[in-house]
Amino acid sequence: MARLIRTEKEVEGRFEEVWIVVEEDPLEQWPAGPLAVVGRPAPRQDAPLRVRGEARYTADVKLPGMLHAAVLRSPHAHARAKRIDLAPALALPGVRAAIGPGEAHGLDEEAGFSGAPVAAVAAETFGQARAAVKAVEVEWEELEVVLDPDDAVKRELLTEEPRRRERGDVERAFAEADVVVEATYRTQTVLHNSLETHQAVCEWQGDTLHVYISTQYIWGVRQTIAKTLGLPEDKVRVVCEFMGGGFGSKNSPDEYTFVAAELAKRTGRPVRCALTRHEEHTAAGNRNSTIQRLRAGARSDGTIVALDGEFTNSVGWSGWSSPTEGPMWMLYDCDNVRTVTYGAKLNTPFMKAFRAPGFAEGTFGLETLIDELAAKLDIDPLELRRRNYASSNNGVPFSSKNLEECYRRAEPHWERRHEVRSRSDAVWKRGVGMASQIWYGGGGPPSYAWIRLGSDGRATVVTAMQDIGTGTRTAMAQIAAEELGLPLEHVEVVLGDSARGPYASISAGSSTTPSMGPAVRAAAADAKRQVIEIAAQRHHLEERVLDIRDGKVVSADGNLSAPVEEVVGLLDEAQILGKGARGPNPTGMSVLTFGVHVVEVAVDVETGEVRVERVAAIHDVGRIVNPLGASSQVEGGVIQGIGHTLSEDRLLDPETGRVLTTSLDAYRMPTIADVPEIVCEFVDVPDEHLTNLGSKGLGEPPIVPIAAAIANAIRDATGAEVRELPISREEMLRALEAVKRRERRGDPAAV
Amino acid sequence: MEILRPSDASEIPSNTVLLAGGTEVVPLLREGLLRADRLVDVRGIVPRGIRGATIGAGTTLAELEVEPAIPEALREACRLAASPQLRNMSSLGGNLLQATRCWYWRLGFDCRLHGGDRCHARDGEHREHAILANDFCASAHPSDVAAALVALGARLRTNRRELAVEELYRLPDEGDRRTTRLEDGELILELELPPVETSTYLKAMDRRRWSFPQVGVAAARVGGETRIALAGVAPIPWRIDGPEALDSATPLPRTEWKVPVAQALVRRALAALA
Amino acid sequence: MSEVRLAVNGQEHVLDVPVGTSLAHVLREEIGLTGTKIACNEGHCGACTVQVDGVPRLSCITLAHTVEGEVTTIEGLRDHPLVEAFVRADAVQCGFCTPGQVVSAAALVAANPRPTSEEIRHAMAGNICRCGTYPKIEEAILSWQG
Repeated sequence: MARLIRTEKEVEGRFEEVWIVVEEDPLEQWPAGPLAVVGRPAPRQDAPLRVRGEARYTADVKLPGMLHAAVLRSPHAHARAKRIDLAPALALPGVRAAIGPGEAHGLDEEAGFSGAPVAAVAAETFGQARAAVKAVEVEWEELEVVLDPDDAVKRELLTEEPRRRERGDVERAFAEADVVVEATYRTQTVLHNSLETHQAVCEWQGDTLHVYISTQYIWGVRQTIAKTLGLPEDKVRVVCEFMGGGFGSKNSPDEYTFVAAELAKRTGRPVRCALTRHEEHTAAGNRNSTIQRLRAGARSDGTIVALDGEFTNSVGWSGWSSPTEGPMWMLYDCDNVRTVTYGAKLNTPFMKAFRAPGFAEGTFGLETLIDELAAKLDIDPLELRRRNYASSNNGVPFSSKNLEECYRRAEPHWERRHEVRSRSDAVWKRGVGMASQIWYGGGGPPSYAWIRLGSDGRATVVTAMQDIGTGTRTAMAQIAAEELGLPLEHVEVVLGDSARGPYASISAGSSTTPSMGPAVRAAAADAKRQVIEIAAQRHHLEERVLDIRDGKVVSADGNLSAPVEEVVGLLDEAQILGKGARGPNPTGMSVLTFGVHVVEVAVDVETGEVRVERVAAIHDVGRIVNPLGASSQVEGGVIQGIGHTLSEDRLLDPETGRVLTTSLDAYRMPTIADVPEIVCEFVDVPDEHLTNLGSKGLGEPPIVPIAAAIANAIRDATGAEVRELPISREEMLRALEAVKRRERRGDPAAV
Repeated sequence: MEILRPSDASEIPSNTVLLAGGTEVVPLLREGLLRADRLVDVRGIVPRGIRGATIGAGTTLAELEVEPAIPEALREACRLAASPQLRNMSSLGGNLLQATRCWYWRLGFDCRLHGGDRCHARDGEHREHAILANDFCASAHPSDVAAALVALGARLRTNRRELAVEELYRLPDEGDRRTTRLEDGELILELELPPVETSTYLKAMDRRRWSFPQVGVAAARVGGETRIALAGVAPIPWRIDGPEALDSATPLPRTEWKVPVAQALVRRALAALA
Repeated sequence: MSEVRLAVNGQEHVLDVPVGTSLAHVLREEIGLTGTKIACNEGHCGACTVQVDGVPRLSCITLAHTVEGEVTTIEGLRDHPLVEAFVRADAVQCGFCTPGQVVSAAALVAANPRPTSEEIRHAMAGNICRCGTYPKIEEAILSWQG
């Protein structure tokens, strides 16, 4: 029975109260460990299409008569377009339509950052559209520009009310602490940089708008467009079969979608609006920079008695103030915690969720501070973490938590530090560091899936979800194959089109597998029940003695072993249909993911070069559906995190607020040459309280602890405290210089 | 736009853009930083390949990086330059003529190199910029290969004259914003290496590959003389006599870090020669 | 407009496009070979990598009118054993960079059938993968059966 409930829903660490309809989830969980299909490595089913260049991305959509749009963007960080003349653009060759502020959602007179969209042109070619955009005449009124986050906070220029939280009595706890450490950490602005830029192709067929879009959330896009344009939702069809990366930046349709829709309406032709790489770097969102002023107090036995943090998120012109304080509240068992988080509203490009928003930044600060505390206490960093192990999330029990097991598995990697250090020489200093991770990733309802089982015994999972490159298609096929008792190659997944499948959840917040997997399993179970009912009637057996294994309907006594296609073959071209829904999350429990990274680095103390040489990543995310795909996710998160830690830095001109690092030679992401040895382990124990699957998400956890683990390894290698990302040569040499000054003064090595 | 393919260097018309590998020119044309109605494809007239100590200016960096006869400094500078595909495309001559990676210049700010009256980097974001000769313009020269050739004492032959690679470059000033002495219609044809006793190239990057030099140090012993040239530290490839020259560097606040990096690499390069 | 003759994957094409048009644009828009991706369009990421006479080049900054030699795109390498090696090793996540990775890798193994990890890292450093599939790409190239 469907139940209507009011519940707290979490996406990317943000909570909102929502009404949702949930269905019962009566299926028992499968036993732990590898099963017939689930829990065993499977190459991606769609890999051949992608590898051979046959997969059709939004970038490859080419409709007959399609026009190309270009967007006019503000050159000023804050200005008002007092007057816009589109006529010179319309007079140019190939131009078919032009629109200005207010004529498409997202085009505004007031430009709040350099790169803000103001007007747009559609032309026969992108080159013509781009030339036309340059011909648009704009009279700008420049407005006051605020770029400094501390200044914005001082002046209360905020995106939302500051978040203030306190438990216990922090001041008293600090007064009574034996040891106090205090430091300011800074993280930089980083760019998602999906290789497929943000883009959409819009086409009107009658009163229906067809939207081909590179997105992480087909249904969210559909609803936002319908609401914004005042259309019935079923008059918007959203298609995304393959997409070239999102990392949190493609959760919603933005100006490019509305520009394409409006220009398509005006011209009666399909319109593509695709951001260039330079636009991607200026106007497609970012992980915002942060300033974290942190303090920790402990008793001499290592008990952390007080944590205090003031966090400033440089949100930019729009976006939200992400939970940078989250790890401080959740990672350790500490009675006295106080935080305040400000979201600075600045005339800079906007924040968008980026792979564990807030937690990746906040974990850098907290987990580096914990190591500074460990040094001052002279307690082993792993031991200090164990002594402060959290047994609940602020009093709410965890649905499952195996961080202790992660720590246990980390021991052999942690033990390597003696040998690693001993390989240091006069120039290259080596060391080992660790950091823990906590993040969400439980997913939630609603999410639905259908299954068609044909008379050939092959099944197709149909759901209008998206595979953003995480291997979702394959994981869903594995789950369906496991439940149906079919070989994996007999199960296909059709997704990526709102017109041909039911509602599916967003692929963000590490939620795809935990949200969709249980729905797929429920649909498979529904189909399986029907196959068994048919077999029971055909063979005059009781349903309870029948099962499907390896493509055959089998009876408990072994007398029946009939291929599924034989059992359902009499349906001819008809099919069996299964339907499944995601059940509720456990009530009164906190569903979270855990993990620990142990990192080995080498630091050239003369030139400030930092090399990450080895990363052991141990994660507890419940049941692992596809260990092969899961290891790829972890490696990807680690590598992206290494980029965030060492080389990536989106820079602004301090005078004009313009993005300076608009190209990929200036904004430097890791190449294959930067990859360390990565050892990847999973606890792989199903969360017994979470759905029929027991799986949590894995997209975000591996990026969370990497920066702190690197910083801690650097401290182990050199004694230097790096407190600012990226750890460029400049930052590394500054920190090494501080060590030398300290040594000259004769201060102890610790803070 | 049209493409000309002259059969002789004397046929190059003025006010055209010369195209060999295209790795620099094509993006600059697209961004509007170079303008031309006519492109001149010079690949037919620029020699390619290595003959003894003579290197055709059309030789690609990829060809040079695997050539055992090429001195270590140049080979290593090629090997660590750009990306594999770019090394496959880019010519040696074109590499010497590439423009700075200064973001203000690349974004078309009205800076001194573009004829304007201020250096935006000096007052702005300059952490990757110059520490030497940076008073007028703080851009950093990005060519690993140029630093190597300067250190090796290479000479180049154009369709009009011969000159040392070192003399190809000039610091921009109020009267002339160019960073090379190449004239309109002048084309680099060949490079000539002197006998080199030993040489090396060391490069600081923020990725292990595919980075322009934060600091590049080429050192060579040529005819008993030790020559050192640096990339990434001045608006043009910069020759110094020894590590002590860096004591008088004039870093900007956020390029101070480059001084110890350069000092360390010069020390190491000299040690490698010994 | 100006005529351009291209030999692509063994087929001759005669096209009329403006001078200045990139090879990547011609391949994708004129010939319909969309396996070659454009991700930065300025020669920095490697997604557009094609071979010209077996040598990897960036088609987004190669002018179509300057191409001399036989162009091989991912469509011409679909039956290359590396494809199977990439699939088996899970050397693909979002897949947008992957055709370019295969094109670069195919040139590498043609010149050096058993490259070491160091050689792979040197030869593949111009193909950016934002998903971080690199360890699996290295594994695929190490394990290919050619």
